[in-house]
Amino acid sequence: MPPTTSRSLRRRTLRQILGGVRRRARRAVGAVRRAWRRSLQLQVVTSTLVISVTVVVVLGVFLSDQINKSVIASSQASAASEAFADRVQIAAALSQEPDDQAKPADTGKSAPADPLDAVMNTITGSGENGSKKRYEVLVLNTATPGSSRASGKVSPRDVPLALRQGLERQAKNLRYDKPLRHQALIRFSGETQPRLTLVIGGLIPPDAGASYEVYHFFPLNDEEQMLSNVRLAIVVVGFGLVLLLAAIAYLVARQVVTPVRLARQAAERLAAGKLDERLKVRGEDDLARLATSFNEMAGNLALKIHQLEELSQVQRQFVSDVSHELRTPLTTVRMAADLLYDAREDFEPMAARSAELMQAQLERFESMLADLLEISRYDAGAATLDLDSVDVRDVVLRAIADSEALAERHSTRFELRLPNEPCMAEIDNRRVERILRNLLFNAIEHGEGRDVVVTVGADRDAVAVAVRDHGIGLKAGEETMVFDRFWRADPSRARTIGGTGLGLAISREDATLHGGWLQAWGQAGEGSQFRLTLPRTAGADLKGSPLSLVPPEIEMRRTWRGQMTPVLLPASGDGAGHEEL
Amino acid sequence: MRSSRRLVAALAVAVVAWAGSGCAVIPVGGPFPVDEAGGGDPMSKPFQRMIAVPPQPAWAPIQVVQGLQAAMAAYADEPGVLSTYLTPAAAKTWRPDGPITVIANRPKYDYVGKSDGDQVVIRLTGTPVARIEADDTYMPYSAAVGDISVDFTLVKDAQGGYHVQSVERGAGLLLTMDDVARAYRPTKLYFLAGPPGPSRLFAERRLVVDRVWLRVKPTENFAQTIVRRLLDGPSKALHGAVGSVFPQGMSVRSVRSDDDRVVVDLHGPIAPDDLYTDGLKAQLKWTLNNNDMANGRTIEVQLDGEPFYSSDPLVIRADDMREDWLGSNVSPAYYVSRGAVRSLGDDRPGNAVQGPAGQPNELYSRLAMSDGGAMVAARGTPAAGGGIWVTRVAPDGRWQRWIQGRQEDLTPPSWHRDGTLWTYDRANDTVLRCDPASGRGPERVAAPGLDGLDVTRLRVSRDGVRVAVTVGKNEVRVGAITGGGGAPMLGNFQTLITVTDEEIRDIAWRDGERLLVLVQSKNAQSVREIYVGDGQSTELPATNKRLESISALGQRLLAATEGRKGILEFNQDKQGWVSKVGEGDAANPIFSLG
Repeated sequence: MPPTTSRSLRRRTLRQILGGVRRRARRAVGAVRRAWRRSLQLQVVTSTLVISVTVVVVLGVFLSDQINKSVIASSQASAASEAFADRVQIAAALSQEPDDQAKPADTGKSAPADPLDAVMNTITGSGENGSKKRYEVLVLNTATPGSSRASGKVSPRDVPLALRQGLERQAKNLRYDKPLRHQALIRFSGETQPRLTLVIGGLIPPDAGASYEVYHFFPLNDEEQMLSNVRLAIVVVGFGLVLLLAAIAYLVARQVVTPVRLARQAAERLAAGKLDERLKVRGEDDLARLATSFNEMAGNLALKIHQLEELSQVQRQFVSDVSHELRTPLTTVRMAADLLYDAREDFEPMAARSAELMQAQLERFESMLADLLEISRYDAGAATLDLDSVDVRDVVLRAIADSEALAERHSTRFELRLPNEPCMAEIDNRRVERILRNLLFNAIEHGEGRDVVVTVGADRDAVAVAVRDHGIGLKAGEETMVFDRFWRADPSRARTIGGTGLGLAISREDATLHGGWLQAWGQAGEGSQFRLTLPRTAGADLKGSPLSLVPPEIEMRRTWRGQMTPVLLPASGDGAGHEEL
Repeated sequence: MRSSRRLVAALAVAVVAWAGSGCAVIPVGGPFPVDEAGGGDPMSKPFQRMIAVPPQPAWAPIQVVQGLQAAMAAYADEPGVLSTYLTPAAAKTWRPDGPITVIANRPKYDYVGKSDGDQVVIRLTGTPVARIEADDTYMPYSAAVGDISVDFTLVKDAQGGYHVQSVERGAGLLLTMDDVARAYRPTKLYFLAGPPGPSRLFAERRLVVDRVWLRVKPTENFAQTIVRRLLDGPSKALHGAVGSVFPQGMSVRSVRSDDDRVVVDLHGPIAPDDLYTDGLKAQLKWTLNNNDMANGRTIEVQLDGEPFYSSDPLVIRADDMREDWLGSNVSPAYYVSRGAVRSLGDDRPGNAVQGPAGQPNELYSRLAMSDGGAMVAARGTPAAGGGIWVTRVAPDGRWQRWIQGRQEDLTPPSWHRDGTLWTYDRANDTVLRCDPASGRGPERVAAPGLDGLDVTRLRVSRDGVRVAVTVGKNEVRVGAITGGGGAPMLGNFQTLITVTDEEIRDIAWRDGERLLVLVQSKNAQSVREIYVGDGQSTELPATNKRLESISALGQRLLAATEGRKGILEFNQDKQGWVSKVGEGDAANPIFSLG
């Protein structure tokens, strides 16, 4: 159905987008994490930033709070005292009322007849020569007509309800000495914006009649403005301080990190074999001493390595010399032994057996001597390639033919898997044949009579030969040890085919000489597989092998067990094997 | 070692720096130049106002009436409270429009009949002081008017509280003087002399004061109230006699204080390019300055929040308009000695003026001098054949009779600043005006407000807008010359002062808005200075000599004593009279015009 398809398409698109975003985010996080892990400077600067931000925030909040408190407290105190003075004035004026009332009404332009008017004129500055006060006053007496006054635009509506109720409660309890304070946002009539206002309400005890409620409205705009300026200043200064500290930390860290980085680079070069690498020593500080120690270390190391190299050279020379020197007497011994062996039938059985044994061990001795000479040639760097363009299939077949006698003795059969097309490569025929022979002998020896599978594969750049046996296999970690000289999987086991213990080591050297790989895979009980990969053109870099190092059946079984999507590894793709080299 | 020593040195430097600067919270030192803050905000003056509270059920009927009276005082700010005092029926019919009656403080409240019951009548008795008209004119009541009384009928409602059912006088608010003092401010508005109208033929630059009483509004600053009232035009007393550059329909958006200047933001159909700019500047400058609003600061006029002219602002600087828009208050003084006009020096009698006016004679009396002292007019004595005589103050001048008539039928002549001569012909009950420029003889000027009145004096004010007349011996009325230069007429007459048991001996204009009245009672004399705008009156200290005539200009006030016994001058500083010219037939002090 088309709608479903489109919906699923869209869903997939969304999922893809999300996936893309997630991938990108993960990549960015990874990059940051890598940068963090790799840069000491970044760590120092970041830590300084975090700590200084914390300190500045705490200090700023504390400072701002203190300033707020002191400013508001002082304005509240001055407001309270002004309100108190006004209340006292009003109370005094109102208590004179009876005297004034006795006077006849004055029609002239003199002081107002009502003492409340007179005192309000004084308080609000609305009388002659009065000046504007910073606050407004509201005198409220709802119980007596005409006894309520206000200055400016305040009206009884502007009094916060809670304050008014509080004063009413006080009036009910006949408490007149506790003025109340209330801070509120009040929108006065004719204004569009509410203003932060401090309202102080107090009662004037009744001389006669009802009590007067006196409210003072103090605008807190200036204080608010000042405090917001202070806060802004604190924020700006704090921000600047944090930046400054970060810059300082950056500079200081740079001072320390730069020599350390130089030391690291020098150590890397040293590790890469440049034993002449040394650090510059400047001054006498800790870093200079580090550089001195590093240089001493590098010098000692170079000396030691030089000594070891010399020793090794001596040893190799010794082996080579011994092998050469042994050959002459061995030839003589061999000739004598051949005579004895040829005449063995004339001997007593006991002596005849000895002649046979001597013959066999001499052969082994000879081949061991040959191997030793060969390997000492490698060590001396004297090995050269005699290159020829050859079909590898032919080399394989020749090697199998050489091994067939031994295979028969072990009742082992070969299973050949050869491609139909020729697998041409520039190789040294003799050496590759020797490698394959060694691998086949090895497979026969450890194959416990089971089939040995020989596979040849090729792609554009490389050819590969894999030899698989189904013997006892290799234990974990033995894949590399098999190529060590004179290594034996089970030291108690006798060498049945008279291997010298140097075959695989020489094979590996041969493969390396070609610019190729020789790798082993093995698993206990599953047998093992050796894979030789050679470039088609001698000297070309290998990027992969046409054959898998792990046998395909094992790979399949593994993925099936892991309940993963069964994906067959392509014959050419073998990531694990490549990274090992 | 070295680094620790360096650390100690750095610490020491820091401590010294802190001690030097940080520990002094407010640094001492100076002198430094100070930024002028502009002197605060004079736009809004502090004021207090009545807060009306709704009636309480427990109030006695008299308290309810007192509360109603307070609610009337607060009506403009809180109109809602007043109706809570009225019964629903009365609230519907109550109209608080019309003039406001001002009564003296502490009126009397009496019960008419019973003081309890469902219906109670309370009589409020008080001395009427003034009336504030709808055009904000303050009209004082004469002392002769007796107390007024108003009956309030109250009824009890279901809750037991009293409400006002009817007010005997009907509509109109009733305020005490304290209420007015709290909420109203006398304010001077300045208009341009000359008739209003589109012709805008302002021959001379001259401002006329219109004094009104404006109510302070809590929701806007007083400067805005003043400018709004200025845009509304002159009050009734000057209606038709003065003009304004502001066309009808103008309104003020705001008047605010902006650092060193006052910004007046106007809105309305004013054409900036076709405007008498100097007139606008003068009107706004003097209106804002003389009410303590601008206080000499620069005034900027905006139109709809934008510069007045599309590109340039209209700015009235403090030193702009130095010209004499209010008229000169400095002019030489003269007096008449044996019929000859002599100048009055600072200490001693001066010389006689040139021409026939300076010659001693017995033919002319009650002399008046024209603007600049170029002409002298006088009333002819019976020996001269009566009439009004005029001569130039020049060697070749000679007395000419401009107006015929008997001496007792013509009031002493008065010069207008445009050069015309005014008098009142009592025989024909008409105002006469002589315009030498027209070459015609005296012409009658319509004055409907004076019909049938016994006009004894007529004085044209120095700004040429107002006219003061005395009616009989007890009343002064002030009107205005309306109708323009072509066909002038006198109108808008209102009583300024009425005296009982006293006699008005003379009147003299001090300036455009103050009239001096010399009042003679049985055994005392007084000179009262009265603002013609609102009748506010101040009595100057008396002298033991009897005064016959007065003349004034600005701060100077001269008086002639009865029996030609010298000229006195009122000294403002000493608040007393000082003799200027001693014995010797000195009479009739003269300032030009007025």
